[in-house]
Amino acid sequence: MAKEMIAMLLAGGQGSRLYALTQKLAKPAVPFGGKYRIIDFPLSNCVNSGIDTVGILTQYQPMVLNEYIGNGQPWDLDRLYGGVHVLPPYQKASGSDWYKGTANAIYQNIPFIERYNPEYVIILSGDQICKQDYSDFLRFHKEKGAEFSVAVMEVPWEEASRFGLMVADENDKITEFQEKPKNPKSNLASMGIYIFNWDVLKKYLIEDEADPESENDFGNNIIPSLLRDGRRMYAYHFSGYWKDVGTIASLWEANMEVLDPEHSGINLFDDDWKIFSRNSGMTGHKISSGAEVENSMITDGCRIAGQVKHSVLFAGVIVEAGAYVEDAVVMGGTVIKAGAVVKHCIIAENVVIGENAEVGAMPEGAENGVATVGAGVYIGDGAKVGPNAMIDHNVKDGEVEW
Amino acid sequence: MVNSNANALGIIFPNSYDSLVPELVAERLMASIPFAGRYRMVDFVLSSMVNAGIDNISVIVRKNYHSLMDHLGSGREWDLTRKNGGLNIVPPFAEKTVKVYNGRVEALASILDFLKDQKEKYVIMSEANLAANFDFKAMLNAHMESGADVTVAYAREEIPEGMIKPFDVNKDLYYTLDIEDGRVREIQINPEEPGVQNLSLNIYIIERELLIRQIGAAFVRGYVYFERDILAPQLDKLKVCGYRFDGYIARISSIKSYFDENMKLLDEENLDALFGGNHIFTKIRDDNPTRYIKGAKVKNIMAADGCIIEGEVENSVLFRGVRVGKGARVKNCVLMQDTVIEPGVNVEYIISDKNVTVTADKEIKGTDSFPVYVAKYQVV
Repeated sequence: MAKEMIAMLLAGGQGSRLYALTQKLAKPAVPFGGKYRIIDFPLSNCVNSGIDTVGILTQYQPMVLNEYIGNGQPWDLDRLYGGVHVLPPYQKASGSDWYKGTANAIYQNIPFIERYNPEYVIILSGDQICKQDYSDFLRFHKEKGAEFSVAVMEVPWEEASRFGLMVADENDKITEFQEKPKNPKSNLASMGIYIFNWDVLKKYLIEDEADPESENDFGNNIIPSLLRDGRRMYAYHFSGYWKDVGTIASLWEANMEVLDPEHSGINLFDDDWKIFSRNSGMTGHKISSGAEVENSMITDGCRIAGQVKHSVLFAGVIVEAGAYVEDAVVMGGTVIKAGAVVKHCIIAENVVIGENAEVGAMPEGAENGVATVGAGVYIGDGAKVGPNAMIDHNVKDGEVEW
Repeated sequence: MVNSNANALGIIFPNSYDSLVPELVAERLMASIPFAGRYRMVDFVLSSMVNAGIDNISVIVRKNYHSLMDHLGSGREWDLTRKNGGLNIVPPFAEKTVKVYNGRVEALASILDFLKDQKEKYVIMSEANLAANFDFKAMLNAHMESGADVTVAYAREEIPEGMIKPFDVNKDLYYTLDIEDGRVREIQINPEEPGVQNLSLNIYIIERELLIRQIGAAFVRGYVYFERDILAPQLDKLKVCGYRFDGYIARISSIKSYFDENMKLLDEENLDALFGGNHIFTKIRDDNPTRYIKGAKVKNIMAADGCIIEGEVENSVLFRGVRVGKGARVKNCVLMQDTVIEPGVNVEYIISDKNVTVTADKEIKGTDSFPVYVAKYQVV
């Protein structure tokens, strides 16, 4: 039985701009929003949209991601026919290749897609926070009689030159594509989410692979080729919450926006569009008598005895009495000891912040860096980590890092 | 069989002691009573068995088991979706015994054929009225070392008031044990003596073949209770040994004890004692983390995921998906899943069952010794 549409999720990215957070895991596996990882968003969107077959293309540091996805059960993607499959690069009789580019990653998995004989393939990216109904996108694609559609967001004109832009006519037909242009002709930014008719995609993947000059990239190669050949290409307008969390600042910001769903538009409290995740299995969180918790999100396994303001705490975080946490993203298993002050920062998993240590600082004037501490790091008693620091090694007692 | 797996199958009686908490089991049974913020009572015994490597577990349900079936599903959350064994929910077999079973003899008689077909050497039987992180492996080792025919777990406890108090012909039986050199010499049925004594936890280990023989013989004689009719009269013939359990136990024996046992977990020492050991698994709801909105004031609470707190909450246990509106005050309460406390409400000492709504500005107050219980789906 053929599937109408299957999803291919690009999850090989290193996320080098997240540096300290992606030393040992791929960007899509970076924790987000208290109990999720970034990849939970596209995966949950798939399931909520009725897509039951997802190929996840991995390459960089795949272990955490592989283990996290497992058999796909948390997303209801453990299926007899279809379900979720992790697709790393593999050795073939004719040799082996890493995934050279986004298009090449899909090219190498043509046999996987062919098994399901889909009419449409949706290409997703594993590094965005977004709740999107892909079935509505597909409806648009079919209504337009498109061969290729791309989801686009209107961005402010002054920022348009940072994006790949689609120039479209009044019927949403794409006439031109501009990659990060100096003089933007459009403010419709590509979200990197595409629907292709599978026969068209396959043809272009094969042609692209045969071209030794190609970078095997969707944005740089496939889309320009489609345009050159006058294919039926359409831009699908998306107006919900969307954030590329490729930088520390944007990741921090997106976490903070979760705390304010009324204004930011990213509402995780939506029973009709749940975001699924692998559960920590810890018991409920505990807030002690002397604690103060305000405007924060707290999940299972946390023990709070200190002050927590405007922060997102992941499973099993311990905030000892006398510790102060503000504007912080604190990932699972981290311990913040008595008297420590943690502000405006991202602390990765299983970090220990020693007694009376200081991490980060509230923004002052132009100084608004988000201090970042990598997974498993020990910050010694009384140590200081400045607001622009990115720490991936232990800091000794009393030491200062800027 | 690899060493990490216990050579035992588990049998759970989920309806035991339903009679002690009539309010809570109006639409459910003991095993599916919500407990400790995000669990159901059955999670503790089920997880303890799974953690001991037992992967063949039968739950012999009696009545009101809809909520339990919904909770357990295929057993996936406890890793019990197995080709061999796994979770086996046994509904009442009304044709054979005509009436629903009363005691364990009848319950076990209804699965005798199943028991004959199993491979495990031992059977571990338990109920679901205790929340404990029980080490079944240690008990099984003790059973094998002592060479006992039957090992029964007990704790040094006073008899809970809730067990003694109601005089009711349908009351579930409870037992205390006289133990000498590890061997049970006498079993008292429904005693009322005060003081700390050997209170049976009704957890048994017995060889499967022996259990089949005993149940077969007892059933044809019309016997009902395993303890009263099989063990007590044969203490000289069968070697029945006691296994003392010193771990943390939360025992549900009345609505008051239900309240108290939840509240006790606000003490982190107790929380760690119950959850610090092996993992307790439960059904996943995929709730978002709990959100404390500006203006929220919380003091000494335990909360599960999915809550939205805007008001004041003190000394309380909040289950999944509880809402506390602006200006509301919640003090000394146990609020089960999806309870909605609307703005301006003032509640003290209440137990709200699932999906209760207390509408704006209402006031409900119980007392320390008599918490008010608000039944499932009620709108106050």
